[in-house]
Parts: sequence; C-alpha cells; structure tokens
Amino acid sequence: MDRMSSLQIWMAGALLAGVMLLANTASAQEEVASAIRRYKAYEASTGYYEEYEVLPRRQLPLVSIPGVRRGLFPYSPTAASVRNRSRLADSHLGIKFYERRRCEACHVEQTRDIHTVRANLTCRQCHGGEPVASIAHYYSPLNPIRRHAYVCAKCHEGASASYASYVVHEPAAGSSLARTSFPVLYYAYWFMLVLLVGTMAFFIPHSLLVGLRELFKKKRKPKNADSNAH
Amino acid sequence: MPTATRIKRFTKLEQITHLCLMLAFIIQSATGFARLYITTGWGKKLSYVFGGYDTCLVIHKWVGVLMIVGFVLHTIYMLTRIKWRSPAKSIFGPDSLVPNFQDLKHLGQRILWFFGLGSPPKLDRWSYWEKFDYFAVYWGLPLLAITGLMAMYPLVTSRFLPGWSLNVAVLLHRAEAILAVAYIFIVHFFIGHLRPTSFPMNETMFTGSMDLEEAIEEKPAWVQRLKDEGKLETVLGSPPALWYRVLYFVFGYAIVIFGVYLLINGIIYSRYVALH
Repeated sequence: MDRMSSLQIWMAGALLAGVMLLANTASAQEEVASAIRRYKAYEASTGYYEEYEVLPRRQLPLVSIPGVRRGLFPYSPTAASVRNRSRLADSHLGIKFYERRRCEACHVEQTRDIHTVRANLTCRQCHGGEPVASIAHYYSPLNPIRRHAYVCAKCHEGASASYASYVVHEPAAGSSLARTSFPVLYYAYWFMLVLLVGTMAFFIPHSLLVGLRELFKKKRKPKNADSNAH
Repeated sequence: MPTATRIKRFTKLEQITHLCLMLAFIIQSATGFARLYITTGWGKKLSYVFGGYDTCLVIHKWVGVLMIVGFVLHTIYMLTRIKWRSPAKSIFGPDSLVPNFQDLKHLGQRILWFFGLGSPPKLDRWSYWEKFDYFAVYWGLPLLAITGLMAMYPLVTSRFLPGWSLNVAVLLHRAEAILAVAYIFIVHFFIGHLRPTSFPMNETMFTGSMDLEEAIEEKPAWVQRLKDEGKLETVLGSPPALWYRVLYFVFGYAIVIFGVYLLINGIIYSRYVALH
C-alpha cells in the first residue's frame, strides 16, 4: 500500500513538473474534433474582436531598455528605428498615445493583403494581445521557427514551416520595396504587366486599323468591284 | 450554286470544344471577378448570382478542373491530327496552327495594306491573328491551371515549393486572368463581331463552315490550295437552318454583352479593390 501511494505521489509530481516545465501546446498540436470547429470558427463567431482588444500597459517609469528610443515612433517605412524594434518583447514599448491608436493608424500597408481584406482577420488574431512581441523575438509565436505551428495552423491545418514562409503582408508587387524584399514577385508582376500592355498596345490598334480598312474597302466596292486597286 | 456555297472549316468536335471553352471561360471570368471585386458593391452583386463569395470559389474550382480535363483531351486530339508519317511537314504545314515565317511576312504585308501601301496578304487557312488567338489560350490555360492548382492545394504545394511561391502563384493567376479577359473581350470579340467583314457576327465557329465567296476574299491561298489539291468539292457544305442561326445569334450576343459588362465594370471598380 505504501509503495503504491508513493508511486502515485511520484507520478503526480512528474505530471505537475511536466505541466510546469514543458511548453504550451501549439495550435498545430491541439486535438481537432472537426474541421469546422477550430479556432477559425471560434474567432469568426463574434466579429467584435477589436472592441475588447487589450490596451498596452503603461511604460514603467524606472525601467529603461538600452538602445530603445522613447517618444513618438517614427513611422516612415525607411526609418531605421523601426528596424531596431524587431527583437523586442513589447515592440510598441514607449510609443506615446499608443493606447488611443489603432494598428492601421501606423501599419497602413499591412492592412491591404488577402488575410485582412478578404478573410477579415484582425491584427490581434495572429499577433496576439498586448504586449505584441516583435516577430523576431525569441518567444514570439510569430517567430519563423514556430510560426507555422503557433499561428498558421490555427486556421490552416497541417501548415509546415515551408507553408509559413508565405508572405502574409506582401509588398505591393510592383513597388521598389518588392524589388528588394521580394524580387520574384516584383519581376513576375512586371513581366505580366509588360505582356498585358504589349499585347493590348499591339492588338487594339491592329483591330481598329483592320476595322477602318475593311470599312473603306466595302464602301468603295460598288464603284470598283472588279479590281482591288485603291 | 445555292446548295454548295459554304466551305468546311471546323469539325463538330472542334465546335463543341469551342462552345465548352466559351461557357467555361465566361463562368470563370464571372466567378473570378466576383471574388476579385468582392470588396465593391458590384463584386458583391455579381457574387450573389453564383451564390456568394464562398460558392463562387467552389464553382471556380470545379469549372477549373473541367477546363484542365478539356485541355488534356484537346491536346490528345491535336496530337492525333498530326500526320505522324511526316510530322515536320504536318506541324509546320499550312493546315497547322503553329506559327511560321510566312505569318511574319503576312503581318508586314497587312500593316502596309492598312495604310494603303500594298495589297492584302494572301492568307492560307489560319491567319497570324487566329494563330495568336489559339496559342494565347493554349499557353494561358496551363499557366492558370498550374497556379490555380497551387492555390487550391497550398499545403501540398508547400511540400514541394517554398510557401512564398504561393504569393507568386496567386499574382500570376490574377494577372494572366486579367490578360485573358481583356484580350478576349476586346480583341477577340471585335474580330468576331464588330469588324465590318464579320459584323454582326462571324458565324464560322457555330456553323463549322464559311461562305465560299468570303473565303476567296479572306483566305485566297487556302481556297487555291484546296482547288489545286482537288479537295474543294469535298469540303463544300450547305448553309445552316434558320432556327440554329437564331439560337447562336442570341447565345453569341448574350456572351458578348455579358463579357463587355464584366470588362467595363472591372475597369470602373478596379480603383476600389482594397488589395494593393
């Protein structure tokens, strides 16, 4: 009896240690009862996601982070200080009036892709509540080492790391930004555009000239029915 | 010659192929545009015709699969049309749709003729623009099929290609679709219906035959070749029945009107597609 109970205590202890020490289950690991009753269905249920999103905590007055600037966040796309924020646990730390802003007030370009426009996803559904970690932060769910399992798989069952390399916030395909950040997309876009414009630039005048020429030929026919001259 | 004034141009199978392609193309354009423009009022209305945003995709996928099947069957059919005893002669011959140097010459002659600087080219069975029409579809379809299948099975695709290839696939699918729609609804419809020789409708694809006089004027080299080979009598046919003419006029114009409607609204509402 004593041995049994001590075994039980050991097992309970091991279980507790496991729960405390092992990582949380990722979305990819959760048990799926049905394809439709997943995170997507749950998230899509209210449609008021932005209404109860968590506001960030105030910045602690005595805590400063080396290398992180305080004050207004320069939101020009080329501002270097934007890139400095790519490894923070709270990527918006120190931005003034942050509480009263919406994500799209600064991240305009990020609202113009299929996930946002078509699937009506809100930022929080992938980036999580406050504090929003930089995607390159080691513990961020959007870090490429675990993004597929922690974020993509919430809706796309079976997403792999390769799958997660899909660029959700793709740059405008013809832009100079795409040229440096996504050259294949950039050149595919310009190839197709040149093809479209080239085809139309040739065939529209071609068709119009055919039309005009045949129109005049038909009018002249009764006069000169037997000859093709003129 | 009231009974033998028409010259055979398309077989029944070719006409059915074109009819299927027409129907598939118009459905794909409409469902595809409905989804592309779903953030606009027009796109929403268009999608309701097909049962909404999600049902549009279901239809688009199934018709896409049918088009792929059609493409494969058509390719097999075209392979059977090659005379395998002398393949080169058959592939590059005058009855083939494969472009050759003669077409380039015809293009030059025709441009001169536009400006009254020469006589029109003596065209054979297929003119250079008809060949372009054919191959525009023939290369566009596989591109749409491959990128469409990639987007249809993204998880499978990401097993063989990096996930970012899906960004490129979706872009190519959309761009090629816009190119195809613009070409068919502007150039192909103009050549088929609006140019004076064809107006109000070029009936060849629906009757399978064209008027002999028209053929002599439009494609003199073809008629001459058939005469020389002594085949002209065998390819002469009779004109279509009135009920059939009415049917394909109504059908053809319905397609033209719907196509132009899609194109014009597509241009008007392109500003309101929220994607960049």
